[in-house]
Amino acid sequence: MPTRRQLLAWPLLVAAGRALAFGDEARLVFAQVRHAGRWDPRPDGLSRLAWEIARRTSIETSPQVKPIGLADPELYRYPFAVLSSDQGFPAPAENEIAQLRRYLSYGGFLFLDDASAQKGGAFEHSARQLVSSIVPGAQMARVPREHVLYKSFYLLDGPAGRVAATPDLDGLELGGRLAVLYSGNDLIGAFARDSLGTWEFEVTPGGELQREKSIRLGVNIAMYALCLDYKEDQVHIPFIMKRRRI
Amino acid sequence: MSDAAYNAWRITSLSTLPAWLLALALCALAAGVWLSFRGFRSEPAGARRIALLGFRLLAALLVLVLLLEPGIELRSESRVRARIVLLFDTSRSMKYPASPGGPSRAQELQKWAAQHKPDLAQLASQFQVDVYGFDKELQPMDPSRLPADPQGPATDLMSALTGAASAGTGGRPLAGLFTASDGADNAELGEGLSPAAAETLRKLGAPVFALPIGAQAQKDLAVEKIAVDDFAFVRNQVTLDVTLSARGFGATDVPVTLRREGQVVAQKSVRVGGDRSRYEVKLTFVPDRTGKFAFTVGVPVYEGEALAQNNQKSFVLKVIRDRVRVLLVVGRPSWDVRFLRQLLKRDPNVDLISFFILRTPGDDPHSSQDELSLIPFPTQEIFQEQLKTFDLVIFQNFNHRPYRMSQYLDGIAEYVRDGGAFAMIGGDQSFSAGDYSGTPIEDILPVTLLPPGPTAIDETPASLHLTDAGRRHPVTELAANAALNDQAWGALPKLPGLNTTGPLKGGAQVLLQSGEGRPVLVVGEAGRGRALALLSDSSWYWSFVAAGAQLGPRAYETFWHSAIRWLVRDPALTPMRVAAERPSFEPAGSGSEPPALDVQVRGSDYGAAAGARISVVESSAEDPVPRAAGSAVAGPDGNARIVLPSLPPGAYKTTVTARRADGTEVGEAEDAFVVAPASRELIEAAPRPDLLAAIAAATKGRVIDAGDALAKLPWRDPERVEVGQRTSKPLWDNWKVLVLLCCVVGAEWTLRRRWGYA
Repeated sequence: MPTRRQLLAWPLLVAAGRALAFGDEARLVFAQVRHAGRWDPRPDGLSRLAWEIARRTSIETSPQVKPIGLADPELYRYPFAVLSSDQGFPAPAENEIAQLRRYLSYGGFLFLDDASAQKGGAFEHSARQLVSSIVPGAQMARVPREHVLYKSFYLLDGPAGRVAATPDLDGLELGGRLAVLYSGNDLIGAFARDSLGTWEFEVTPGGELQREKSIRLGVNIAMYALCLDYKEDQVHIPFIMKRRRI
Repeated sequence: MSDAAYNAWRITSLSTLPAWLLALALCALAAGVWLSFRGFRSEPAGARRIALLGFRLLAALLVLVLLLEPGIELRSESRVRARIVLLFDTSRSMKYPASPGGPSRAQELQKWAAQHKPDLAQLASQFQVDVYGFDKELQPMDPSRLPADPQGPATDLMSALTGAASAGTGGRPLAGLFTASDGADNAELGEGLSPAAAETLRKLGAPVFALPIGAQAQKDLAVEKIAVDDFAFVRNQVTLDVTLSARGFGATDVPVTLRREGQVVAQKSVRVGGDRSRYEVKLTFVPDRTGKFAFTVGVPVYEGEALAQNNQKSFVLKVIRDRVRVLLVVGRPSWDVRFLRQLLKRDPNVDLISFFILRTPGDDPHSSQDELSLIPFPTQEIFQEQLKTFDLVIFQNFNHRPYRMSQYLDGIAEYVRDGGAFAMIGGDQSFSAGDYSGTPIEDILPVTLLPPGPTAIDETPASLHLTDAGRRHPVTELAANAALNDQAWGALPKLPGLNTTGPLKGGAQVLLQSGEGRPVLVVGEAGRGRALALLSDSSWYWSFVAAGAQLGPRAYETFWHSAIRWLVRDPALTPMRVAAERPSFEPAGSGSEPPALDVQVRGSDYGAAAGARISVVESSAEDPVPRAAGSAVAGPDGNARIVLPSLPPGAYKTTVTARRADGTEVGEAEDAFVVAPASRELIEAAPRPDLLAAIAAATKGRVIDAGDALAKLPWRDPERVEVGQRTSKPLWDNWKVLVLLCCVVGAEWTLRRRWGYA
């Protein structure tokens, strides 16, 4: 008997399966980190984001989100990992930290989303502790507005999310790329729909315009994870500068 | 010694008085005569005046004789004939024709010497005649044995003239010099007769008579010099400074052409004529591929030119790359794309230009174009204008159809056949699934393709197995040891699926295959270029997934680095190397060593391939049909030296192939070299009668015609007298003169008294 989520995912699967592919491995699949806290606060958010990405860009996505533990060797089949909660989460075990460190240093990407959207809250505290344990002594830093993340597909002027709790995204760079990205605005919450397909949460204070910006930021994050600094290649710069001036 | 031993005499003074005293006495005598004359000048009788003056003058004369003591000097004299120097040009430029299509200058000179034999004999009867041949140095010469094939390495007129002038013995005076030459000086007077050189020649103190040889063929155009670096960077502009010399030309526009192995790569026109004889031309071009190439700068051969050989000049240029320029065209962002881009961007030896299709026509970004960072896909610029600037083009899961690229596929295929490199990486938009079947891209791929359809992709996971070819190939060499290499590939994660293709093409090599024998990695040649087919979109597994399996990303990085180096023909990955011993060799007949090649052959394990059989073929820009030029067997160190037959001047390319001792082909390697005279003597060989005329004018000599007799030339000083023995005898005894003086003085005194003078 299919579950409610599987039934809802069917139209997404049809949309995503429009091309031949070597299975899900060729697609962008979000891996949701299963930690000891409330690891899945926005159950439909990532699927919806995957659907939006597939609808709006050439990226092939899978609507299936892969729940996975940090110690699971399968983690390496999913270079885009999402760690979220609406509360603090216990620090992972040493072997999980080591695995995550290796994962990130060899090319993995970790998106930390604070579903509680409380600046200085428990999730933020846990997330920052996690990051400083991955790279001892390291601190996440503000992602500048000029960062390629804000122009990897859409031209954005800043972060967005379900709420506007923090004006910036934070991140940690490893090997010249953003390996960890932190959003304090419950970004995934802005994508979530209920079982009837209506938006699960109201987006404040900007309403639907802010929701659209949130989707665009989600698309840009995915695009950045897959293309890195492609949009900083010389050939793009004049076009982007011109459009930024409009 | 009797007087008969003397053959000449002369009057001389035997006085031992100093000259000043004699001069003083002469003045005193003159004063005495004058004073005496003053005393009787009023004498009315003219006869008396004359008589008195005569006696006084006679007395003074006698006093002078007393003082001077006149005597006769008997001399034994001999006559020394002056010296004449004849200089004949024996430099190699004399081998060139004296006139277009005519006999050589040396033959013309021989003919002149034969015709002037009586003239030279007559000259020898009047003068001491010293005969020299000259080129870079002087050497005694018999005018009847002038060389028909002169070998002098250079022409140095100044040294010849000054050296011969000072070479005389016995103090014979130099009556003059004669030189017969083409005047093609390439030493001190190469740039003309400078004022300093003219002054040096004037100081010889003897006229130079010059017979210009080949003066009727002085019209000549030559590529004298090419200034260019030994190496250049591919796709970077190269500038050549070409020096032309043009003599005997009216105002003419001369096209100067630069060719690479017969193909024109640059051309410029220069106007020659007028007073100048040298012209500078800058030629620029952009080398589009790496390697060692023979280039030739040439100008047309005009009618009546003295020499055709010097109308072109070749040189070898090594074109290297500063970085491998890679064009990465991606149909869709994916992890495979991301990891490859990250690898290439991080490689300092790679200049990556990438184009990703971020949005297909079916995608709806829910925004206006101005809210997107997307740019139009510049297909024309990339695939038409810029294509040849890339060393490697990679299509990664890219379907050309939606982007109307069919018109460019021919150009891409031609680019590869012309020496470029192409790689196609699998995915649901690649190979058969990308609708490349029947396109020019299929022609260059090492695999044949199927029409697009559900069979274009096989989703069965594929383990990796090296084929025999893969065990030898540098692209799949992850470990030096064959067993470790097998193990390294076998340990890598399975790929989730593969693109399916038709049969392999002839010459294609499957390096990796699945357990069931499906090809995973195939390489091949396409014309002069190379192509690689990776039938998977998951090579990133060898990096990230392998890292998760504690293998690390080394296999992925090594594979791609090797693949790129092999595709762009990195010399370090070739099992054969060939290098000409020198970039330029002397032409056949020059007596120099013939061209030789150093060949290095390596085995499948990249160790020395002892006993490999090596064959060489050579071709030239003028004759592009390859001809067998030599063979050898590699020594224990895998090296061999192959001496080629002597070759005429030109730009040559050699292609070396080898088979290992077990009969397997090693591959081939190429090198280029030039055969050209290194000496300026054979390059700047046009006759220069103007220089000879300037030398003659500076020494008050002249240019003579072939018909002029040397014996009748106005030589400076025909002979010189030398005195051997001499002796002196007084003419008169002194007492007789003294008595005569007394008589004269007495007579004068008597007359003066008689005529009433005190």
